[in-house]
Amino acid sequence: MSPTDPLEQSNSGGVVSVAAERGPLALEAVSLSRNFRLSRHQTLQAVREVSFNLYRGAIIALVGESGSGKTTVAKLLAGQEQPTSGSILLDGEPVDLSSRRAFRRYKSKVQLVFQDPFASLNPAHTVHYHLERPVVLHRDKSNGKVEEEIDALMTQVRLTPARQFLEKYPHELSGGQRQRVSFARALAARPSVLLADEPVSMLDVSIRLEMLALLDDLCRRFHLALLYITHDIASARYVADELLVMYAGQIIERGPAEELTQHPAHPYTQLLVASAPDPDNLGSTLRSGASRSGRPPEAASMAENGCPFSPRCEFAEDRCRRESPPMRQVTPARSAACWRLEVAAPQVFAGRQGG
Amino acid sequence: MTVYPQDRVLLDDLGPRTSGRPPARLALDIRDLSVVYRTPAGDVRAVDGVSLALGVGEVVGLAGESGSGKSTLAYGACRLLRAPALITNGSVRYQGRRVQEPVEILQLRRDQLRRLRWREIAIVFQSAMNALNPMLNVRDQLLDVIQAHLKLSKDEAADKVGSLLDLVGIPRTRLRSYPHQLSGGMRQRVMIAMALATDPEVVIMDEPTTALDVVVQRDILAQIIELKERLGFSILFITHDLSLLLELADRIAVMYAGQLVEVGTADEIHHEAAHPYTKGLLNSFPSLRGPRRELAGIPGSPPDLHSPPPGCRFLPRCSYSTTACSRIDMSLRPVSSSLNSEHVTACPFVLPDAAVPGGPVTARADVAPARAPAGSMAGRPAVGETANNGVHRAERAALKGEPTHEEPGL
Repeated sequence: MSPTDPLEQSNSGGVVSVAAERGPLALEAVSLSRNFRLSRHQTLQAVREVSFNLYRGAIIALVGESGSGKTTVAKLLAGQEQPTSGSILLDGEPVDLSSRRAFRRYKSKVQLVFQDPFASLNPAHTVHYHLERPVVLHRDKSNGKVEEEIDALMTQVRLTPARQFLEKYPHELSGGQRQRVSFARALAARPSVLLADEPVSMLDVSIRLEMLALLDDLCRRFHLALLYITHDIASARYVADELLVMYAGQIIERGPAEELTQHPAHPYTQLLVASAPDPDNLGSTLRSGASRSGRPPEAASMAENGCPFSPRCEFAEDRCRRESPPMRQVTPARSAACWRLEVAAPQVFAGRQGG
Repeated sequence: MTVYPQDRVLLDDLGPRTSGRPPARLALDIRDLSVVYRTPAGDVRAVDGVSLALGVGEVVGLAGESGSGKSTLAYGACRLLRAPALITNGSVRYQGRRVQEPVEILQLRRDQLRRLRWREIAIVFQSAMNALNPMLNVRDQLLDVIQAHLKLSKDEAADKVGSLLDLVGIPRTRLRSYPHQLSGGMRQRVMIAMALATDPEVVIMDEPTTALDVVVQRDILAQIIELKERLGFSILFITHDLSLLLELADRIAVMYAGQLVEVGTADEIHHEAAHPYTKGLLNSFPSLRGPRRELAGIPGSPPDLHSPPPGCRFLPRCSYSTTACSRIDMSLRPVSSSLNSEHVTACPFVLPDAAVPGGPVTARADVAPARAPAGSMAGRPAVGETANNGVHRAERAALKGEPTHEEPGL
């Protein structure tokens, strides 16, 4: 600790992830960046210097608004996009996707579940077909029969009786049932890492919880390292061990789910939490129509230098617009990328001093 | 019959309209409306005898799962549904500032209907990307509406486009932008501007913010309410997000399988929800604030509306169900004996004084014992901490641990 800046600085904020206590390290993202060339003069930095770890048995939630780069992170980790810079390590080994064989080996460890179960299943094929292919492709040759394995998968995602569902086509299934098939398909490869990109946002409210409970259950039962990508910070509070908040391609805050949602430190996380519907809030700003929450997001043009949130931030000062803030440790398990934490989140800051 | 003065009303000319009016005046009065979808396999009874009133200046929320008939009810009331949808019964009366005598929408001729739609009752559709014409820029989209429904000169129409953009907070520099050049929030604002272009008295909003993230959603909702206060229209707000309605709406109607199961003020629904389905919905949302609650969701799926089960349609998913439930009629009954309360529910077993908040329902001795439903979600206990149990144990018991797979054979 230096006297000028009481908060330590390092690339990851120097924090210890709470998720590390759940199990061994599975997947590491190290300073991942992905640029998209829009035109000859314009480049979109969709993901900038993103680093985090996924641990077996733990659920990490990646939370952010649309356009924040969450899905690009999922695609990078799934090997569907090549990072512009940075690297991915699986079980400590650098990931090699150069050959088909290497790619397939990687895919058997890292699986992706998509948002829309209406689009991600082939309407011309039965449930059986969707599950048979990955089972055959990734099968452990010495072990068991394909049909038995398919039945087991169906039981694991609680689509029972399996026989009855296997001959159905996607259009004959409800949204929840389709997403269960997607989960089963991902599990067919026996992955150690599951990347779930908004797995419940297309589903009906009444069954979302059921699906999140299933994810939680699968994570524990198969000791999966799970990345739960969502824009719904409230659901992340309930399922995740650790929360990563993304804004404009960067992780701007990370920490244990409960602590972070109850006492957000970064001004953007504060805005996110304040924007969630709150029926218990009697002096609601909504019904009185009084104040508007924040400025229109269109104002949030991506700042080339400095903090990406500074155009919308009420605490922003000159330094925020000039220099990009590094992740700064708030508590042993939390960090946030903000120069003005002392002012923006005095309680969280004070809590750190005390602890 | 009905008088439609072709007045040229500019939004700026209007003061607040809600003040000085008896609050009991209704803008839209839907009575006993039934809508079916004709299919070779028989009629799907999407809306089944629903009555719902919208007072002047009121925000009424319509909540329910997808397929519950929320949108069919709203579109049916405006006769916007096409075959195979068929309105089989009911009445929809509209009354407004320009339409002094109540008109029966279901009996209007085509040309009368044309004058009523958008001019009096406007709709903000769910998906702004699909509802906007990709070939027209913002200015032309708005001009299209204005020219179709108002008689204004070119200059007046152009002025109006500008003032509408100001109204919803879009900079005028965006006039020439096409829909694909706008963010989701801006597109939704354009939709709202289009709906308000003709100064309607009733605005139906069909999930206007579902596709947006929370920060933008809150911004737009605050703006909608602000505009409502200023211009005095009434809102029928359709959404599956009950937590949003609790904050936004004056009254909330909860719909299940084509029928209303509970209607009450936002406060009554929030604190004294009577119907097990409403309780289930309330218990389906992870909350961001306050203690972590035991959440259960609603296991199972809605019934097939080709042949809805007799009696209560929620019966197969309800843990309070008794044999009597398959014989009840689904008419709405008052929840409390108090006269000034309009809180009504279709479940007769929580009435009239049995609705002790959080307590078990006395009429049902055979309530399942409290146990965690298979699909329950207590949240992940933090490392080194045990699960936070027991906060809503009684509530949890309301939702039986049905097998978590959906009804087979649907």
